[in-house]
Amino acid sequence: MRRLWTFFRRFLVHRKILFAGFLTIPLGSLADIWLTLEIGDGLNRLRNSDDTTFLRGLFFSLVAIAFVRGVFRFLQRWWIVGVSRRVEADLKQDLFDKLASLPFAFHNKSRTGDIVSRLTSDVENIRMFLGPGMMYVLGALTLVPTSLFVLMRLEPRLVLFMLLPIGLMGLGVRALVPRLHRISTQVQESLADISHHAQETFAGVRVVKGYGVDAQQVGRFETASRENRDHQIRLSRVRGMMDAITHTAFNLTFLPILFVGGMAMIDRSLAAGDLFKFIDLTLKVFWPVISLGWMAGMYPRALVSAERIDTLLNERAEIEEGAGTRELDEVRGELALQRVSFLYPDTSEPALQGVSVQIPAESSLGVVGPTGSGKSTLLNLLGRMFDCQGEIRLDGVPIRDLSLSSLRGAIAYVPQDSFLFSETWRDNVGLGAPDGELSDERLQELAERACIAEDVAGFPDGYEQLIGERGVTLSGGQRQRTCIARALAKDPPVLVLDDCLSAVDTETEAQLIHNLRAAGQGRTVVLAAHRLSAVRHADRILVLNGGRVEAQGTHGELLDASPWYRETWDRQRAEEELEELS
Amino acid sequence: MSGYTEAEKEVIATKAWDTALLKRLLGYAKPHKWLFFQSFLVILGLFALDLAGPYVLRRAIDGPVAEALVEPESGEVLADAAVPEDTDEQLRRLGLHALLYLTIMLAAGGFRYLQAVQLGRTGQAVIHDLRTHLFRHMQRQDLAWYDARPTGALVTRVTGDIENLNELFTSGLIVLVFDFVKIFAILAILFTLDSQLALFVLALTPLLVVTSLGFRGGARRAHRVVRARLADLNGYLQEVLSGIRVVQMFRREERVAGRFAGLLGSYFRANLRTILLFALFFPSIEFLTIVIKGAIVWRGGSSILTGALTMGVFFQFWFYLQHYLNPIRELGERYNVMQQAFASSERVFHILDTEPEVGPPAAAKRPEPFRGRVAFDRVSFSYLEGTPVIEDISFEIPAGDTVAIVGATGAGKSTLVNLLLRFYDPSAGTVSIDGIDLRELDPTEHRSHLGLVQQEDFLFTGTVRENLALGRASVSDASIARALEVSCAGDVVRRLPGGLDAEVAERGVTLSTGERELLAIARALAADPHVVILDEATSSVDSGTEARIEEATHNLLRGRTALVVAHRLSTVRRADRILVLHKGRLREQGTHEELLEQGGLYAKLYALQFRDADDTARAG
Repeated sequence: MRRLWTFFRRFLVHRKILFAGFLTIPLGSLADIWLTLEIGDGLNRLRNSDDTTFLRGLFFSLVAIAFVRGVFRFLQRWWIVGVSRRVEADLKQDLFDKLASLPFAFHNKSRTGDIVSRLTSDVENIRMFLGPGMMYVLGALTLVPTSLFVLMRLEPRLVLFMLLPIGLMGLGVRALVPRLHRISTQVQESLADISHHAQETFAGVRVVKGYGVDAQQVGRFETASRENRDHQIRLSRVRGMMDAITHTAFNLTFLPILFVGGMAMIDRSLAAGDLFKFIDLTLKVFWPVISLGWMAGMYPRALVSAERIDTLLNERAEIEEGAGTRELDEVRGELALQRVSFLYPDTSEPALQGVSVQIPAESSLGVVGPTGSGKSTLLNLLGRMFDCQGEIRLDGVPIRDLSLSSLRGAIAYVPQDSFLFSETWRDNVGLGAPDGELSDERLQELAERACIAEDVAGFPDGYEQLIGERGVTLSGGQRQRTCIARALAKDPPVLVLDDCLSAVDTETEAQLIHNLRAAGQGRTVVLAAHRLSAVRHADRILVLNGGRVEAQGTHGELLDASPWYRETWDRQRAEEELEELS
Repeated sequence: MSGYTEAEKEVIATKAWDTALLKRLLGYAKPHKWLFFQSFLVILGLFALDLAGPYVLRRAIDGPVAEALVEPESGEVLADAAVPEDTDEQLRRLGLHALLYLTIMLAAGGFRYLQAVQLGRTGQAVIHDLRTHLFRHMQRQDLAWYDARPTGALVTRVTGDIENLNELFTSGLIVLVFDFVKIFAILAILFTLDSQLALFVLALTPLLVVTSLGFRGGARRAHRVVRARLADLNGYLQEVLSGIRVVQMFRREERVAGRFAGLLGSYFRANLRTILLFALFFPSIEFLTIVIKGAIVWRGGSSILTGALTMGVFFQFWFYLQHYLNPIRELGERYNVMQQAFASSERVFHILDTEPEVGPPAAAKRPEPFRGRVAFDRVSFSYLEGTPVIEDISFEIPAGDTVAIVGATGAGKSTLVNLLLRFYDPSAGTVSIDGIDLRELDPTEHRSHLGLVQQEDFLFTGTVRENLALGRASVSDASIARALEVSCAGDVVRRLPGGLDAEVAERGVTLSTGERELLAIARALAADPHVVILDEATSSVDSGTEARIEEATHNLLRGRTALVVAHRLSTVRRADRILVLHKGRLREQGTHEELLEQGGLYAKLYALQFRDADDTARAG
């Protein structure tokens, strides 16, 4: 409960509206009861007079009370549910801000689906419980006791008899809850089985079809589906029992009304209008009582959700907090790595081991090596996406001592996955620009340097072309070149490119490298590549293998010094030759 | 994710009533009409019992209670008046009424239970049929169909969408039909109770219906906006999460947070609109209800006074009014269920209406006896029109021979495999086996003659035994044992806890790449196929495993017709013939030695792909 309280405090931010909303709840309930009492008293009056003129007045006062009640009910929903939506928005924004600030190490280990579900279903569970849920509970908690109080004053014996079936209902429902839970779990599991089986068959369709075992798979699916059907039917049995118990208990409250109330009427201690009050109020409290049961069911879920959200909100932004505050005024771009080692969490093999390399300002470094040799990891460490062992210095200052904005401000980065937003081409490139804005001339210049100007000119909307599902889908090469334009827009002292030429053809690659070398004048360039032709002109090339530096030197030196480099070079040349044959 | 564009989804979502669709859905209900009939009987019984309760109450009040009350001549009710001596008789009759009421309510409880069970059984029966039918149909689809759709979306069709249809059959259709029955039945009863009051109710009903329907339209539009805004919001969240590295490297945290705030704002405003609608709707309906009830009190009160209406009938009327108003109020809710179900059924039927292109012919031929001579005759194929993957390829594999295909990545090697498996039909030319065009064979039957070993062969959840047998009738324990020995996978299985009964895949033991490859060969050998299709793995394994894989491959190919996408030197060396593919064309063919001598493409490829292995072999 304490956990939920921290979320309820978010509701209290809007306390004026919230309390006004809370106030309308008992007022609405009172109006509701008042309506019943008015009618009951009216019926009583019929016995005592022959005058029917009061009925007209009664009708209009009923309409008036109903209207006031309606206003209360409207305000109650509008205010309380409205606040709950406002809190939802605040909470989502806080969670989003938190996510944006959490270090990459966090994102690297968490699954997107899990995080999205925290921001969707978990937030919704809490909103439902603390917002509309609280509204229903307060409604029930004001309506039910007040009704009981009113009825007690009319005929206390009758009220006691009526409570009997309600108490039995509570016992019956409680006895069924564990069964309901158990069978619900079985239903969920069998549904998961169906979905798992379907998933597996669809994913393994080549084996299923290749072996001609379609019928066998259908048989397995049918078994899973049948099992689910049987569990579902068992679930409907328990649900049916619950349903029968609650409704029967409710209906049985009318038994004492009939018998005890009837007797009271016979011995004239109860008038017909009073009997009406019993009937009408009982009809009115049924759904509020049931809603209390729903809320009890929602509570554990809300609690779990609160915990999941809390965990996320309390996640530490380690790198952010551990970052220094030093700012570099003018970055020259000299990088030095000293015995850098890195181990990904939950792995045993280090991704990098004792890597040392000097990258003088305004020089270029190529990083090559087989898949999984640590190229991307090395590049990620430069922008401090992870903290490593050993030391990385920028212009002689350990990057740990630099503020994150100073460090990352000095680096422009082209990721391996060529990630782009589903925004316009201009916005995507503008993301790199320091102020986010780019003039048309600058945009044109960047597009040309990234060898994508022609492609952009071919888009229906040019620079304003929307990228992604709702716009145009870019080819892998177009994405990579857009990412390069984005990085160049930053005009950085250090340019880090992670295998960003893999999807462009050989001809464009040569042109791009030419442009990048021109753009690289006056900056430090670190370029990881799979194809050696991309790095052959670099001032220095680092060959990584299994996280260690196998060799370093210029292209010419490595051809002699590194057998891996030599073989890969030959092989790639041969592949190119083969490619050129037609 | 669902395999539909946004625009398509929108069109689908707007449909709320579709008679043709409904008719088709009812087709699935037909085999279970007895269950549906029973459901109606149960609902009818419950309805009658629910109505019987208030009737007994009325009889009690108008009977014993009223008789006891009219005893004093004056007709005045005085609380302190002496109670007449002979109320015992009335009390006894009151007791009988109470007993009757108790019986009826207990019976109603039983019927309520039956109703839930009956609806559950009925819905589930239809759903199970539909789900299996859908799955079977999906299984028949072409590989191209699968390639074009994300697996997740396909899974949703047989899970989420089918669940929605369950709602349609149970809480949607049956209840909706019965709600109408209830509304008219009660109205009729109200007329028999007191036609004047019933007329009032009838006159005021349109107000209620108009409000309910008017709200329904507004709520639907508002909900659609909320859903669209939420989709935008969640979409953006996912996008930022997957691009968080770029966001952080470029220090654009504030920019994305600002954009998120904007989307959140429009989502929030869309929500406010629905809250406003609902906040207006519920109180309005309740207000109208009270107006109707107020009118009943007004007119009914006068009738009671004149003696035209008894107190008991008034109470009965009051109860029935509740039964009458509830379904009208819930019309909107039913409507939502129907709408969702229609959207789902449209997606389901969309799949059921898709017929696979590669299917069995009307009268499938069978090669008798099966020899396994494979022939490609001037075969071309393109996935996309205008960009051929292979062109004009002809070759033959005499029964029992091994043909190896080599070529660079993208040369079209796996396309040849896919064509022989008849995953696709060629755009031109024919593929035949024992002289019969594959198109004249039943594809499933045809594939069951083939032994397939794929790269990174797929393992299903289950035991090793199940994975080797794949439910094939031709595979026995004895043939599995033989296959394991021949494929050198016996040791792999013996090492596993539980042996053949060890669980693999997700929940089970992990196997190395080499072990999986051996098991894949065993899987193919288990049915002792005439024709083998082998797509060799490229990943490297340790030398011990490598030797076992080579031996297993040798045993697999011996005496069988084989088409091999070769990556191992030992395989190409042993092949009766090597086909060299380049950019979709057959460029060279011959034996290893012949081709090396030619010094053409094969020599180059050999240098690229096989030389390392050759060096190691020679060094070892």
